[in-house]
Amino acid sequence: MRITQFLGSKLKNFSNLPKEYIERSKKQVYWKTPREVNYLPRTVERRRFRYTTNRPWTGQFRQQNMPGTMRKKVFVEPVEEWSFFRGDRIEVLVGKDKGKQGIVTQAIPERNWVIVEGLNWHYRRVGAEKDFPGIIIKSEAPLHVTTDVRLVDPSDLQGTEFEWRYTEEGEKVRVSMRSGRIIPIPETNNQTHDYKTPKAYIERDKDTPAAIVGEITFQPKLATFEMDIMEEMDIKEERTPAKSYWY
Amino acid sequence: MSTRWYPIYQRGNPQLRVFLPNFWMKLVRPTEEQPPNVVTFAVSTEMTKHDVKNYLEKIYKVPVVEVRTRIALGDTKRDQTYGYITKNDDVKIAYVTMPKTEAFKFPDLFEKKAEQLEKDEKSMDDSKEGFRKFLERNKKRPGTPGWFSI
Amino acid sequence: MSSTLMKCLSLANTLRTATLRSLLTSQQKPTLAPWGAVVPALASHVQAVSGIHTSAASLGLMEFFDDPKVWSENEVKVGRAWKPDELRIKSNKELHQLWYILLKERNMLLTMEHECNDKMEVFPNPERIDKVKISMENLETVVRERNKAYHLLETGETGERPQRLVHNCFGLRYMYKSCEHVLPPFMNIKWIKSRNVGFGGRAVRKFLLQYREKLYNEKRKAKNRSRNEVMMILRRNPDFDLEVLRRQFPQVNIDKLRNEDKARGHYVPKIGV
Repeated sequence: MRITQFLGSKLKNFSNLPKEYIERSKKQVYWKTPREVNYLPRTVERRRFRYTTNRPWTGQFRQQNMPGTMRKKVFVEPVEEWSFFRGDRIEVLVGKDKGKQGIVTQAIPERNWVIVEGLNWHYRRVGAEKDFPGIIIKSEAPLHVTTDVRLVDPSDLQGTEFEWRYTEEGEKVRVSMRSGRIIPIPETNNQTHDYKTPKAYIERDKDTPAAIVGEITFQPKLATFEMDIMEEMDIKEERTPAKSYWY
Repeated sequence: MSTRWYPIYQRGNPQLRVFLPNFWMKLVRPTEEQPPNVVTFAVSTEMTKHDVKNYLEKIYKVPVVEVRTRIALGDTKRDQTYGYITKNDDVKIAYVTMPKTEAFKFPDLFEKKAEQLEKDEKSMDDSKEGFRKFLERNKKRPGTPGWFSI
Repeated sequence: MSSTLMKCLSLANTLRTATLRSLLTSQQKPTLAPWGAVVPALASHVQAVSGIHTSAASLGLMEFFDDPKVWSENEVKVGRAWKPDELRIKSNKELHQLWYILLKERNMLLTMEHECNDKMEVFPNPERIDKVKISMENLETVVRERNKAYHLLETGETGERPQRLVHNCFGLRYMYKSCEHVLPPFMNIKWIKSRNVGFGGRAVRKFLLQYREKLYNEKRKAKNRSRNEVMMILRRNPDFDLEVLRRQFPQVNIDKLRNEDKARGHYVPKIGV
């Protein structure tokens, strides 16, 4: 799916979940062939999903993509290089907050959306019951990256068009078209659900410390893995295998 | 060669050894009441009784006296939406008997879960309580806004 | 109990020094299982469970459960999976030990997931299973790479299971994976008989014709789909960058599509401006 788009780009996956898990959690397999030799692996599963602000591994996503529901196809125009990152200052071009500037809190590349903190919001009622009207909360609506927002030039804090260019060191950067200044990718982009910066990660019980991970213990040796382990564990094996034929 | 390829054995060959076994095994809550020294496992279907015994003894250091196994048939269900008939994979159940001196009771993992849940729902309950109080107060003066009070 | 904790998941850029190393130094006499499994001696990582279970067997079995501290937690945070490059610099011995650590961790997670499903509770952080699985796959890849290198150096062959392209009875080509046999092929009458498949005849020709038609239709439909996609994009955004479209949909003739009625949006084009 379009997951490749955000894996290839500089956009950091905030959830920090492995993509295998994301694929597995959104999967809806209705029928599959039994695991027998006389069957080819075939499945009947959901192909089209409606991506919204609910992320694919959540229960709300499943709620919106219940089996049996089909929603109209959304045409998402291809964006070659994702350019709006968490922490970017952007200017809103449409809606009731037109002309205001804000910080991107969430990027949803499946729909070319960004969510901007405190802008383009509406009230939403949650937790309503029969004898309780619910709580009113503010929730921000997503904005389309190609039409609804533009980046802010850090030199004069005015909205600007930009271009991806290479620096002399060969690094790809965003450059403001008006002032020619580099718009750096904010540090917030590297934040994940698990840590603010990799250095600030709180090590859990089951993590291997970085020093141990980086330690080189491999010694090149003319032996297979099995031979090496047997030598290591003092397992003596004198017998030679009889000849066998591969065909 | 993949470490998953198991070579053929001919008499006089070196002993076949598994260096990286990938059998899975999970401890499950017994459906029927069992003696205290019997533990129930769900295991890979390819595992034999000897495999289960050795797996537990060598990897988990659990003394094993006897292993009995059965293959539980996977559930057959009809898909609620599309009507496809689906069947879950069969799973092997192993009843492992430990020595008489040993005892194992399946722990209750969710003892403290209820307290946790109460804590999580507290803020919602608070606001519900607040709304109820507001209604009580405004019974005789309907239409008054929430901030208006004497 | 030993305070050494099994480290099963790694996260780079952390600096503590309690560890896999202490685990490695506590190596005891190796054990060799009669069934052929070669299990490294590992330091026990089970913490004492308060009061109830004290026997050795119970301690062993408690390894099937997570740390009692996190039983009622809604979120159990762990690092990421081992990457192949991190595993490549580790010795065979360490990889062997890591495999068993991962194996135990996977069994623990499967047990916890099963129990949570049984009790209608939410299993916290199910991506842990995937992380362990990825680590195990990477570890196996690394071991395979090393063995391949040894075999190439010693015999000039990869030492992998030989494969070759053959035709089956439907005339379709597929990769035949060879098997190991005691007898040489010319003596193995049973195998010769089983392998003696030819193809041909009216039925096969008819099958192949229809099979190829099916493949062609799939291709055609895929092409049509991308053509429609381009038209819809152009219809919604008349000024869309055509170069981008050309790169994204190399099979579609963009210039021809631009003049299609379907690609024209619901607006009156300005003429002569």
